[in-house]
Amino acid sequence: MSIKRQIKIIYMLMKMKLSKNMAFRFSFFGAFFADSTLFLIQLFMFSAIYSQVGSIGNWTKSQMILFIGTFSIINALAMTFFLFGLITIPEKIKSGELDLYITKPIPSLLYLSFESIDLGSFPLVFASIAIIFYAVSGMTVSITFLSVVGYIFLVILMTVLWYDLMVIIRTIPFFLIQASFIENLEGEVLTLCTKIPGTLFKGPFKILFLILLPYGLMATVPAQFFSGTLSMSGFVYAVALVVAFHAFTMFFWKFGLKHYKSASS
Amino acid sequence: MKKYYEAAKIMFKTQLVYRFDVITGVVFSVFKIFLATVLWGAVFEKKGIVSGFTFHTMLTYYLITSFISQLDQSAAVGWQVSSDIRNGRFSKYMIRPIGIFRYFASQSAGSTAFLLFFNIFAAGVWIFLFQIDFTIISDLNLILAACIMIILGLLFMVQLHYFIGILAFKILDVTALMMMKENIVQFLTGALIPLALLPRAWVHAMTYFPFYYISYLPTMLLLGRNSGECVSGIMILVLWNIAFGIINTFTYKHLKSIYDGVGI
Repeated sequence: MSIKRQIKIIYMLMKMKLSKNMAFRFSFFGAFFADSTLFLIQLFMFSAIYSQVGSIGNWTKSQMILFIGTFSIINALAMTFFLFGLITIPEKIKSGELDLYITKPIPSLLYLSFESIDLGSFPLVFASIAIIFYAVSGMTVSITFLSVVGYIFLVILMTVLWYDLMVIIRTIPFFLIQASFIENLEGEVLTLCTKIPGTLFKGPFKILFLILLPYGLMATVPAQFFSGTLSMSGFVYAVALVVAFHAFTMFFWKFGLKHYKSASS
Repeated sequence: MKKYYEAAKIMFKTQLVYRFDVITGVVFSVFKIFLATVLWGAVFEKKGIVSGFTFHTMLTYYLITSFISQLDQSAAVGWQVSSDIRNGRFSKYMIRPIGIFRYFASQSAGSTAFLLFFNIFAAGVWIFLFQIDFTIISDLNLILAACIMIILGLLFMVQLHYFIGILAFKILDVTALMMMKENIVQFLTGALIPLALLPRAWVHAMTYFPFYYISYLPTMLLLGRNSGECVSGIMILVLWNIAFGIINTFTYKHLKSIYDGVGI
């Protein structure tokens, strides 16, 4: 299917979801308010810690704020575009509702991913940009066109990585009926990695959070790039890892679909 | 009283049915301790004492606050009440000869009682796993005061969640409110960082609100600090519980008239 057609489908799904969401106006910006408080509180938390110490690991206060802002923007993009669609996959596999998706003449994963676009979460992108501006104002790095483009590229790349990890975890219910503990584990790991940059992990946890479950890379890599502390090999590693994860995700989803037994799953 | 005891007992047994979910919930509390180890490990590399905490007293702090947070199962009350109102199922509580709040409070107590054993066991495992030099005070009066505060704090949290739950009469979907509350309460109760790290004026302002006494002050008491605030803490929590009891009664009476019992 051509990219133009895929974008057209996503646009139609977005319009359908928007009209549905308007029925609950109070909840429209619900996710925005909930996650805004989350990141705001994280800022308070780190401000309190930095009032006691100059740096945590090699992260200065401004770099840490940039890290928080970066996670916030990746989270905002995920919530706006695919998060609310993907989280419904395990239930759809369990109930057999997935039948409705695989029989439609569009790629099932595309439909599932973008059927719950949440425009109410999009303002969080602007709030995140404000956090990033605040962080950068306290840094001494020179901002160039290249650093901005590179940062945006890495933010998009890490959003794709989040998407891949979400799909991989939600493909497991094709093989295991009750996999809710894996989703709970994902939630805990995500919470952990939103609070500490990946470079702070040591020993086997480095392998776990930077290679096997690379949540530790997500905000760390773009923040390091923008603050000029990311090495060339670090950049190449991040790109290669996302490419590998994306290829695996597509393969694993197709493999999972082959094991789908409809309502009897 | 017997009917509420039965409600608590049923909830206790229900937890046995979902024991795998309960146990994974307890096991996942390890992430809080792990986060504290990594974050504060990096902080204490450069400084021996932070706001009167050593690395090990800091880990002990997180262990105790995590233990208290795990005991608080009252969020389920908010979700249950709001979902029942939204789906038109709340009528079943209205027609039963029970106090609705007391029924939900008993259920929450049943869950907490079940989790108590697992949490004590998990805390022992985390102490061993993270090699925490776990030391708390031996003054029985202060331990008793901390326990009273924890119980009053848990009761307050049930009241708060019940309040958010019954707001569903008016606004139907309280998901955003519940999530915002979760984030804010975590910070205000000192579950994210010890409140002693915040500016003094902020901490002083917080002492007028109940959240300060839910897990932060009991933990500090067990660590042998802030013992002077013990009596005032209990008094403030009692007052907040009474105040919220009145607010809940008033809100319920006021809002139940707009409930149509149909659901959406």
